[in-house]
Amino acid sequence: MTNAVRTHGLFKRYGPQVAVAGIDLIVPKGSFAGLVGPNGAGKTTTLSMITTLLRPDGGVVEIDGHNVWADPIGVKGRIGVLPEGLRLFERLSGRELLLYNGQLRGIPLSEVSSRADELLRVMDLVEAQDKLVVDYSTGMRKKIGLAAALLHNPAVLFLDEPFEGVDPVSANTLTEVLRRYTESGSTVVFSSHVMDLVERLCDWVSVMSRGYIVAQGPLDSVRQGRTLNEAFLELVGARGDAPEGGLSWLGSSSA
Amino acid sequence: MVGLFVRLKLRLIRGSLRGDTAKQIGFVFSMIAAACCAFFGFLLFAVTRAADADVAQEIGIVAFTAFAMSWTIVPLLAFGLDETLDPSRLALFPLTPRQLAVGMLTAGATGPWPLASLIALFGAVIGLGRTAGGIVLGILAVLAVFAFCLVLSRTVTTALSGVLRSRRGRDLLAVAAVLVVVAGQLPNLLINRGVPGGGRALLDSLAAVLRWTPPGMAAHAISDGGLVGLGELVVVAASVVLLAWLWMLALRRALVTPDSSSQQAGSVRRSRIGRFLPSGMLGAVVAKELKYVRREPRGRIGWISAVVVSGFLAFSMHFEGSVFAIAPPAIAATMIGLQAANVFGIDGRALWMNAVVFTGERDVRTDLAGRHLGFAIIAVPLLTVLSVVSAILAGDLWAAVPAALTAWGVLGVSLGTGAITSVLSPYTLPERMNAFSSAAPGQGGLMFVSAFGAMLGTGLLAVPFVVLVAVGFTWVSVLAVLWGLLVSFGGRRLAGVVGWNRLPDLLAAVARPT
Repeated sequence: MTNAVRTHGLFKRYGPQVAVAGIDLIVPKGSFAGLVGPNGAGKTTTLSMITTLLRPDGGVVEIDGHNVWADPIGVKGRIGVLPEGLRLFERLSGRELLLYNGQLRGIPLSEVSSRADELLRVMDLVEAQDKLVVDYSTGMRKKIGLAAALLHNPAVLFLDEPFEGVDPVSANTLTEVLRRYTESGSTVVFSSHVMDLVERLCDWVSVMSRGYIVAQGPLDSVRQGRTLNEAFLELVGARGDAPEGGLSWLGSSSA
Repeated sequence: MVGLFVRLKLRLIRGSLRGDTAKQIGFVFSMIAAACCAFFGFLLFAVTRAADADVAQEIGIVAFTAFAMSWTIVPLLAFGLDETLDPSRLALFPLTPRQLAVGMLTAGATGPWPLASLIALFGAVIGLGRTAGGIVLGILAVLAVFAFCLVLSRTVTTALSGVLRSRRGRDLLAVAAVLVVVAGQLPNLLINRGVPGGGRALLDSLAAVLRWTPPGMAAHAISDGGLVGLGELVVVAASVVLLAWLWMLALRRALVTPDSSSQQAGSVRRSRIGRFLPSGMLGAVVAKELKYVRREPRGRIGWISAVVVSGFLAFSMHFEGSVFAIAPPAIAATMIGLQAANVFGIDGRALWMNAVVFTGERDVRTDLAGRHLGFAIIAVPLLTVLSVVSAILAGDLWAAVPAALTAWGVLGVSLGTGAITSVLSPYTLPERMNAFSSAAPGQGGLMFVSAFGAMLGTGLLAVPFVVLVAVGFTWVSVLAVLWGLLVSFGGRRLAGVVGWNRLPDLLAAVARPT
């Protein structure tokens, strides 16, 4: 099995704080991979470095065998990105955003329009297609962001927290689209801290904690008979229970 | 309740300063500025004592009204809603509207600026109060006006709080801020151009009208000092009570009105500009730029101010001679070009969408070319019109030709230098424009380098031909256009190299939290 994504010793520090401590991330081609970890584990920094949005302090990133920082032409056409924080061109309408993206990538306008129309229909955004992105809800923004990332039919898709703050209906649409996409042999890498979702969708999991990858592999080998949540809590060294004592006044309110 | 809200406000001020040196320094300056305003405001009011009683009274009436106006407008424009002004933040607490009103009033009166206004207003007691009665009434009048300002400002903010929270409302307000600044220049212009009867007549007529507003009555009461004054103060007090009642109504409504920002907004028209533009990256960027000029308040502000300043220049520099036909369009071209000194700033956090597509210097160059083309599509007709106008004003219509050519040349030069400053010294534009800062915290230096560099570069590269054209070598203006094209091309070329090499840094610099 070849790898869609491979990093070697990927490293990034902000001042004295090491955000990503030389990781070797592996994602096999055609897998639906989850990158999980608590807040501040370095997931976003890792994804930003892999997708050329942040310069690493050290290490190598390869996508489909192309070195990301040495051969951007080979890489940038192959990847689709949905970064964290829903950073989009707020003053374009959803449709305009898709057209802009497609044209930027040199796809002919007629082709972009027909792809955009299809994506808008699948994402259930037809009604809102002429509204400004600034007025979109979180779910709509994630959907239009995913549509923009899929527009040029990339081989590998990177999604940072695609399901955060998304309502169940939109989340369902997103997962359906992603499932169809991976079934055709394309690769999805997404970060999340919703373990149930990762367990349900992914066949490959990488667990990050404090800048390191603490476990990586097929879903079943990482969870080893437990639920992913239990395995995760143990891997990142968190205690399952809240501290005992205190809060004696809480509950059965008399006021 | 009063003490609680005073402490809340003070704690909010302290909290916003914690661990942020830039803000702390800003706060110190703001304190010094408030102290200066208090001192000089007091002094200026007080020295009207030396003037004629009538004049002093008129000045007092106008100044008191201006105070109330600025109390209404400034919080809306500069701060929007701070936490103590936004009733919805307090909606969940078990407070009656009366308690809320008292609390929010105290919060509004706490802080350096309210104190400064109160001190400045007391100067009027010295300036206007010429009798013992006047001084006693004066103290009451100042307190009444202060209360009036507070309640008026709160009523307006509360009534508009729904609008202020919506995206459209904030957009409108941002543009309104520019218009208010412009409107503030009008009296200046009027006085400079000479009003029939001079400044005194203007003051007379203004005071005659404003005298019947509550602040005007308060000022009149101080100089009157007798029974009439007392009667006027009763009216002022009544208007404060009436406003307070209106405010409570507005509060009650604001507490149960949903946040309108989550409601569905209208659609935009599909633009047809795309049809006339080249396909691919260049056309896409041009179309996006043109949309942003219309839809993004920060873009609109830039263009509105450029147009307004150019208009002012054309009308205020109307001397005979073709030299004066050339100067206003050239200056306007520089101003428009300055907006391009940080072209990536307007994209801000969305710039990654372009960055993930760029595969080399050529793409950065194409992106810049698209932005420049977008600028030129608006600026070239604008500069042409301005050239014709200033040529007519200068009394030599033919001067419009060299003026327009020179202005286009200057535009090209400033776009070229702007491309370089855009990649060398990029900075984040804050989401909310206000009068005090136009860069993200901590990036003021970068902004200065960018603006100063662009000005200097444009100046050095443009002054030679502007001067030659101005002293009579009008044929040079043809070369100016070519020179402008050349500089903008060279600027994009260089910026392409630099921009491509520091693309991730560029992304980080324009996407700072504000």
